[in-house]
Amino acid sequence: MSRAVAAIPVRTSVETWEAITGLLAPADSAGRSRLESVTNIAVVLITAEYTQQAPIVVMPSNGPRIRIRTVHGVDAEEARTEEVPLTARPCADPGWTMSLPCGVDDIEEIRDALRAHPGIEVRDVTEGITVGEPAPSDVTEGWSINYGELENP
Amino acid sequence: MNTAVRVNTTTYAVTHIATNMLGSIRAIIKGSGLNPDRIREQWDVLERGFAAWLASGHLKTTTLEVYDPRKRGDNLVGRFDFTIDYGYYPGGDGDLWLDPDTVAYTIRKNGSFPAGCEYRIVADCAPGYPEVPGWAATTYRSTTGFTRHTVGTAIGGGSLGAGLAYYTRSEK
Repeated sequence: MSRAVAAIPVRTSVETWEAITGLLAPADSAGRSRLESVTNIAVVLITAEYTQQAPIVVMPSNGPRIRIRTVHGVDAEEARTEEVPLTARPCADPGWTMSLPCGVDDIEEIRDALRAHPGIEVRDVTEGITVGEPAPSDVTEGWSINYGELENP
Repeated sequence: MNTAVRVNTTTYAVTHIATNMLGSIRAIIKGSGLNPDRIREQWDVLERGFAAWLASGHLKTTTLEVYDPRKRGDNLVGRFDFTIDYGYYPGGDGDLWLDPDTVAYTIRKNGSFPAGCEYRIVADCAPGYPEVPGWAATTYRSTTGFTRHTVGTAIGGGSLGAGLAYYTRSEK
């Protein structure tokens, strides 16, 4: 499941992360607080447009993984009109994890900053998903996850 | 990173310049060998201030001040200004652009700062600016003994432009 969220110039980097957190977790929930606690880390990745090159991937405790990309520049205005809420918010229940894309120039800084936020990790924007076990409902003997497919738009 | 897009609203120009000015300041910090943790940890406050004061037309300059806390008295060691020109492109047609080469050139010309140097970000606003939580009044460090070098416009959007300049010590 994937979603696109309009970013700069339609929204500032902070407003973009606020829109993403609104998609993922209900207001005043523990999940929302956890997402808000990494605002000043996520916005660096949004400003650098890493989240346009590769998705933010959310692995809920149950249910399908969610991929979120940000849309920048001239396409952002149209993306905003086409934003669709998720049917269920994957960070509403505890146990979710998240993978954030990051360029090699920034990855050590961001990895260090995320040490205080277990379950939210960073991966090289050019690589596939490197964190998290499959959600329990996804664990099926004889199946594997196509990480390359997760990177597709 | 995009270098040019076209949209038609002043709001988008404000957002584009506010966020990319912050991104450019962070690039200077990292490229000059300074620790980027501080700007990242203050990002939300800084961006809200930039956007609010660009939108109200009060923001004149945003400055990265680099100083050596081990020195007494005037401890400025470097400074970078993004000066806002509200009439940079009269009747601007909506182009939004960022020139990372201008920032990269500035980083190369300025060089790195010694270990242990710290920094802060200052916004110079015209009187009557709206209050933004997290910001406090301050004064610039003295630039006596420094020479200002104008590089050129680094970010543009609508009628707005953000010109970059840096300071180097001109006397020992």
